[in-house]
Amino acid sequence: MTPVSQLINGLEAKDAMEIVTHDEGKPTVLIVDDDPDIRESLQCLLRTVSLDSRVFVSPSKFTKSDLPSGPTCMVLDVRLPGRSGLDFQRELTAANVNVPIIFITGHADVPMAVQAMKAGAIEFLIKPFRDQDLLDAIQLGLVNDRARCEREGELTRLRERFGKLTSREREVLAHVVNGRLNKQIANDIGISEMTVKIHRGQVVRKMKASSVSQLTRMADRLRDANIFGSPKATDLF
Amino acid sequence: MINSVSSCVGVQSLRGESVQSADNGSATTLNAPVPAALELDCTLADDNDQNTEEGIASSTELTNGRYRTMRARASPIAALGQMSACIVHEINQPVTALLTNTEAALRFLDRPNPDLEESQHALIRVLQLGNRIAEIVRRTHALLQRVSPQKDDFEINQAIREIISLSQEDQIKNDVSVHTRLAQGLPLVRADQIQVQQVILNLITNAVEAMSGLYEGTRELCITTGQTSNGDVLVTVQDSGPGMDPQSSDHLFDAFYSTKPRGLGIGLSICRAIIEAHGGRLWASLSEPHGATFQFTLPQICSDRMPRALQRRSKITEEECAASESAELRSPRRCHVLQRTSSASDQCTQCVRDRASSSSV
Repeated sequence: MTPVSQLINGLEAKDAMEIVTHDEGKPTVLIVDDDPDIRESLQCLLRTVSLDSRVFVSPSKFTKSDLPSGPTCMVLDVRLPGRSGLDFQRELTAANVNVPIIFITGHADVPMAVQAMKAGAIEFLIKPFRDQDLLDAIQLGLVNDRARCEREGELTRLRERFGKLTSREREVLAHVVNGRLNKQIANDIGISEMTVKIHRGQVVRKMKASSVSQLTRMADRLRDANIFGSPKATDLF
Repeated sequence: MINSVSSCVGVQSLRGESVQSADNGSATTLNAPVPAALELDCTLADDNDQNTEEGIASSTELTNGRYRTMRARASPIAALGQMSACIVHEINQPVTALLTNTEAALRFLDRPNPDLEESQHALIRVLQLGNRIAEIVRRTHALLQRVSPQKDDFEINQAIREIISLSQEDQIKNDVSVHTRLAQGLPLVRADQIQVQQVILNLITNAVEAMSGLYEGTRELCITTGQTSNGDVLVTVQDSGPGMDPQSSDHLFDAFYSTKPRGLGIGLSICRAIIEAHGGRLWASLSEPHGATFQFTLPQICSDRMPRALQRRSKITEEECAASESAELRSPRRCHVLQRTSSASDQCTQCVRDRASSSSV
């Protein structure tokens, strides 16, 4: 069994395969805790499932450059010298560093836990925690991070392709994804149907779409990312 | 990690009602101690707790450093409850590490090919952690006892060195540089070594915390040992932190008083109790150009070991000390700064000088 799939229990085979085959880097767990005993014990536990880890004594010792390339998640203590784990979570989000966070704390109250979860934490565990609970949370974090990496990679690719379209091609794309027929598009824009077909062919080729429905999904993704503002069907009438 | 248990509980007390904050910075008189009816608001908060309210003692300055006064509605029972929660919390860390190591060892052993080396290392850590927990429990118990259970004859310098190395990680983490000037040839001290070391650790932890976080000044901690004129061993812990508000220095040693969110209210009062139980004294003062100085004395072992000449001298000085002590008792509020200098006559001058210098703080 490969290291990553060793960690994965209960995931569907399809998901597991996806992670194993598309993995660009090994998964890493970042540990931020000021207690050396805790850090050491966590690293040992992670070794039992063959997961790499990096330790940081405090948030200030962690910089963006420390982010590893593969799927990553962070185990973070709430109570830290200097700044609290919750503040650090806020800062990471503000800096657009979207690493999944699992909080561990020896002292918890409901408002703290709620705040952490609302700010997007994967899990909030109270010390001492069951090893399986922590490992499950880490697994979830790594899976989420992998998915996020993929989505971002996909968006980057789409954006590149879209960048290669001419303005006329983009116009045609907008009409195509709104379900307009070539004849209708020719009419709307004021060009010949043949020209529409040529532009359409270029769009499909450059965007590397295999079908109109796929092209539509691509356009949706670009629109959601505010890269592409195509008029909706209702706007045309 | 051996933490000073006393550095957990944030406990505040309220002293008096109308406090005048004179512009010339001189010490002001305060009213009677807090009535028993008031309740102590104890918080176990993290460093970023911004819960400072201006209560009745609103004229006490809020500073950025460690000595921010906080509001209080006081009840000792609540304080003890919070302290207990704090102790549990401090033990929780090594317990968590112990359990995680044990779980890991079991996982390593559960494999088709058990990893004996990993599990052995894990179990060695488990043993160390278990012993450490037992030690924390013992030291906590020792710290909370007013009666000194055990007397050792030990060297104060060595005791200090051990504590410095124990708290090294804390110092490094907070970029505090520690200097020592430990006098040679000091007499042995007869005291409960664990308790005295707890006191030293407490003072060091205080100092490091004062200079931690966003503090922008120099972060230096200086520990010196020496002897007073009457032969007592003298330990000085001086930091370059923001120092304390002169108006709160009166109360530093009061039980349950603290100006930090995660303060040492219990700690300093117990430290003083420990030192006094051994026949010594513990006091605080402001240092130049800025910072706090904590000093304590411990009597040397046997006065009959001293040469006759010194013995005579120590008698005279004891009288002088008695005189200066009664001077202090007469006006405790005014002489909030107390320096042990070589003679009693110097002392009052020193007081005046310090009072003058504190007005410029």
